[in-house]
Amino acid sequence: MQLHSVLRAAAIACAVLATAGCGGGTAPSGTTVKIGVDLPLSGADASVGQSTLNGVILAVEQANAKGLPGGLKLEVYQLDDAVQGVHNPGQGVANVRTFVSDPNVLAMVGPYNSNVAKAEIPITNEAGLAQIGPSVVADGLTIGPDATQLRRTNPTANTFFRVCTINSRQGSAAAAFAKQFGWNTAYMVDDNETYGLDLTSVFSTDYQKLGGKILGSDHLAPNAQDFKALLLKIAAAKPAVLYYGGVTSTGGGLLRKQMFDTGIGAMPFMGGDGIPDLNTVAGKDADGAYYTIAAPNAEKLPSAQAFVKAYVARFHAPVGAYSANAYVATQVAIDAIAAAATANKGAIPDRASVVKGVAATDLQSAIGRVRFDAAGDIRNPVISLYGFKNGQPSFIKQISI
Amino acid sequence: MHAFLDQLVNGLALGGIYALIALGYTMVYGIVELINFAHGDVYTLGSFFALAILTALGVSGEVHGVALGIDIAVAVVGAALLCGIVGVLIERLAYRRLRNAPRLAPLITAIGVSFVLENAMQLWRGPAPVSFPSLLPNPSFVFGPLTLTLKQILVVGLAIALMAALQSFVKTTALGKAMRATAQDRDAAQLMGIDIDLTIAITFLIGSALAGAAGFVSGVYYQSTWFFGGFGAGLKAFTAAVLGGIGNIAGAMVGGFVIGIVEAFSTWLIGGQWANVAVFAILIIVLVFKPAGLFGRAVVEKV
Repeated sequence: MQLHSVLRAAAIACAVLATAGCGGGTAPSGTTVKIGVDLPLSGADASVGQSTLNGVILAVEQANAKGLPGGLKLEVYQLDDAVQGVHNPGQGVANVRTFVSDPNVLAMVGPYNSNVAKAEIPITNEAGLAQIGPSVVADGLTIGPDATQLRRTNPTANTFFRVCTINSRQGSAAAAFAKQFGWNTAYMVDDNETYGLDLTSVFSTDYQKLGGKILGSDHLAPNAQDFKALLLKIAAAKPAVLYYGGVTSTGGGLLRKQMFDTGIGAMPFMGGDGIPDLNTVAGKDADGAYYTIAAPNAEKLPSAQAFVKAYVARFHAPVGAYSANAYVATQVAIDAIAAAATANKGAIPDRASVVKGVAATDLQSAIGRVRFDAAGDIRNPVISLYGFKNGQPSFIKQISI
Repeated sequence: MHAFLDQLVNGLALGGIYALIALGYTMVYGIVELINFAHGDVYTLGSFFALAILTALGVSGEVHGVALGIDIAVAVVGAALLCGIVGVLIERLAYRRLRNAPRLAPLITAIGVSFVLENAMQLWRGPAPVSFPSLLPNPSFVFGPLTLTLKQILVVGLAIALMAALQSFVKTTALGKAMRATAQDRDAAQLMGIDIDLTIAITFLIGSALAGAAGFVSGVYYQSTWFFGGFGAGLKAFTAAVLGGIGNIAGAMVGGFVIGIVEAFSTWLIGGQWANVAVFAILIIVLVFKPAGLFGRAVVEKV
């Protein structure tokens, strides 16, 4: 393990050095404006990464078709942050440095995962590059002392925004849903990553506030494949629901699957927006699993119908959990770029004016009205609940928090 | 008591898989003093081969009766054979030329081979975990407070049977004798007319075949496999081999079971995130007090 990590670190260091070398500080040239997109495009997260990228592509294609001031053209500049099949903060950092050193990149959308965002935000903050997250929900990215630490270079100039709801609201909603289903006792398991830890800590607080009882909690070891020992322990505790804070690829899928091997397959399994792809690992065993998404269900929203139609026509695939968010995040970036370009008499604007434009966003979008508060979070978010039926996700209900 | 027994059985089954992989580590180390880091990936490759064979046989769900026996036999033998061939190829292409090079060179090469195999598997079956058909029906057998599932019996039984077969092969056949001779002193063995290249190739064949069998077993046991799975399992199996005394076949077996049980119990009593810590802490403690491992003899430096 040590040797592998050392080699990987060395490879990343090489990549960072290589990208840092190329032309930072030069002025943008030509009429092409690039939108950097950092997502896990290979590996276990590839299916959600691709459907998120599709949202960006659709927004850019539509904007290009409509035309931008000064005859500017938009281009999607995507990089993959997965290493050995799993999203990797080090790779995310390398990718963002690549964006920063390209003067034609005026904004970026991404990443998909909170721990990657945590590594990236200090860099976009330092470079003054607008970064809009479609799906990163960890609280500490925008609020609290953690966020202050992330913005240490330019504490007053926030460059990070997100169109999804923060975790704490997702955890609260999950606690509320669990109580509504009459599950009065819970066991919590998380994957020990930023996102998972946030989710379980908020779920725990709110669930107990609502009168639920937490019977125990545990963390998964990284790269583990066998969770039967843990599940036997949970089986003995007999909770009404197993709440999982984490994503499918860090153990969620196998955890659900092995519940059936340890005789607790009938126990409901609940998680956050890290497990909408649970069925890719658990197959039919995903039935009985529930998850919250920190966004409204695009297919149910009247405002999203045009988006859904255009998406399906363009990609011949169903809309992913965060496709609409990525689409809107990109629209926010494009609107800010267009407004700044107009003010700059049609020439490519500077990054600072784009950041200002994003902060001032007030957009009637596919996922509802988008306005950011001072921290960069969206106001009045909606959270939806899904469950698996016959191995496929199906929408149950949504609440506004 | 009930939980204790459940965890014990669970740990034994987990250990059975580690033990099967550890056998390959220990054999190869015993004979060429190479830590074959690609071995864990050969194990994963075995699960992919078994999956391909089962798919070709048209197996997608539970099988019963005679057909079950045939399917298992074909998948185990097929996966073992294919992995054995891969092992021989790896030895021929990557390690043979480096046999007399400084120790570090084949070690780094082994890590390189590991990357090659991981990436090849990622290209072949994609980066996400792949589902394995739930071949075995899963009835439970209850003996008083003890509950066993068919899968657990398969894992532990197969591990012990293969180890016994291997032990008797090494101890009683001429080829086994040649392997032991090569392990003791390669040059002297060669002077006695033993074909060193062939003996080492056969060692890789058997070690990799066992990894292939372990790959099939883990596929059936977990009903899923993914390209990177061999990395963690391989590392723990390597630990098992060291714990038992690297080079010692029975030691690898015992080491595997010990590590499986330690992992299960530390998950149960301390918490899942500490399982690896417990496993490696035990390894360190054993190595401090018995540097040659539980069953290893202290090695006299060859001068």
